[in-house]
Amino acid sequence: MDLSLLADPAILSELVFQGLVRGAMYALMGIGLSLIFGILGVVNFAHGEFFMLGTYAMYFVSALLGLPFLAGVAAAAIGLFVVGVVVERALIEPLRQRAGRDWLLDSFVLTIGLMVILQNLALLGFGSRRRGITTMVEGSVVFGNVTITYERLAILALAVIIVGLLAAYIKFTDTGKAIRATAQDPEAAQTLGIDIKRIYTVAFGIGAALAGAAGALLISIFPAFPTVGYQPVLKSFAVVILGGLGNIPGAIAGGFLLGIVEAYAIFFMSAGWQSVITPLIIILVLVFRPQGLFTAQGERP
Amino acid sequence: MSLKVEGVVSGYTREVPILKGVDLIARDGLVTVIIGPNGAGKSTLLRTIYGYLHPSRGDVFHDGKSIKGLAPEHMLGEGIAYLLQGHSVFPRMSVEENLELGGWIFKRDRARLRRAFDEVYARFPRLKEHRRLNAGALSGGEQRMLEIARLTMTGPKTLLLDEPSVGLMPKLVDFVYEEIAKLKQDEFTIVVVDQNVKKSIEIADYVYVLNLGENSHHGPQHEFALRLEDIIREWL
Repeated sequence: MDLSLLADPAILSELVFQGLVRGAMYALMGIGLSLIFGILGVVNFAHGEFFMLGTYAMYFVSALLGLPFLAGVAAAAIGLFVVGVVVERALIEPLRQRAGRDWLLDSFVLTIGLMVILQNLALLGFGSRRRGITTMVEGSVVFGNVTITYERLAILALAVIIVGLLAAYIKFTDTGKAIRATAQDPEAAQTLGIDIKRIYTVAFGIGAALAGAAGALLISIFPAFPTVGYQPVLKSFAVVILGGLGNIPGAIAGGFLLGIVEAYAIFFMSAGWQSVITPLIIILVLVFRPQGLFTAQGERP
Repeated sequence: MSLKVEGVVSGYTREVPILKGVDLIARDGLVTVIIGPNGAGKSTLLRTIYGYLHPSRGDVFHDGKSIKGLAPEHMLGEGIAYLLQGHSVFPRMSVEENLELGGWIFKRDRARLRRAFDEVYARFPRLKEHRRLNAGALSGGEQRMLEIARLTMTGPKTLLLDEPSVGLMPKLVDFVYEEIAKLKQDEFTIVVVDQNVKKSIEIADYVYVLNLGENSHHGPQHEFALRLEDIIREWL
């Protein structure tokens, strides 16, 4: 570790930017995971596979059909929304009807099973070859002595736009209000005439769409292959633990925080430490602040 | 009659029915109180009427129409509102958003929603004052006020109140019962289940006593005011 580099503002700001790009992906993944947990009480282990399907959607739309970058992101988000809706209606809903108090364990088994099935379907359908797109947006811009590629800027900007649109949707639309109400008190929401089964389905679809969009945006870093979701899903669990399970603003803050911490860790620490730093943070948070960094003590997020 | 329950058998599992054939009639514009010892099935009866539990036998009618088998989210559309046991405000949404969700089934009819807001704010000026606050920041009494206000946003005909005074301090119990009396003046048909037998009998027009999932006594309030102590002694 060369500590003299800590004093170099160019390196520090470069790392902050890298961290923000990583953080944008972690936030998108974490928000989806957190939304699904907050509304349905499901810990979605198949979240990484939704990311994986998003990378394939991007690859097919952008590299094979030659459509623009944005079309790939839209295709991934819409496609994964549909996948999420189908999974919720076909698998999760019937299980919820029957499970009762063993719901958490049942949902573990279900989503882990889904993870394995989706990985193997991808292997059968697309093979194990990595299908990437090296650059989607050409060029770069120089701020002082920091060089930033337009591609990274585009990833960050789109992620911020998606998070902003989602926040506005949840804050202002009728369905958004019903989603918040269902997260806070599903039984009360139901007595007011809200069809909470529909809310469960929509929330799961949105969570899957966010993972799909994250996969599409990051294809230049994570090429499409059947087990590409492994790293992103681990990171999104970390984000959700940092932010507090079910706490969406917490997931956004946790995502960017983890992204920046990792960018620094990768630069300043030796290779062996890089993969230790994230689990270490998670363990420290779980021991000292199990409710998450951004949730007040005792408050249900 | 507004609400009629006929020979309802119901419970959380098919093998162990909690209600073993219960009958009940709640007449229009009156307060019907259901009392009984713990485990008598009072709350189970309300939950069965509201569609949380489906009766394996018997039927439930509202305004002459069978509502058996309808899901809870369709009950408000049938003119029945349900006050859940315990806290049921959405704590991290504003007072205004809570009330807006109370009018969820009319969300496309903005004019009607506006009128409902005007009425509720006229009735509870405190809620209007605090309309931008998160419901979780209100005092316990104000939260109950909000729950009652939210219950009336769509102008339902019948109100089911499940333990409206449970866990409240005595001052708030009085407040809740004053509000129920006002709702009665507004000609709602009201069905109340409460542990507070004395208070609930005071506002009742008609009383049902359940015991072990079956009807035990019923009759107009004046008959019960005198026999109350005998009935409660039977439970012990």
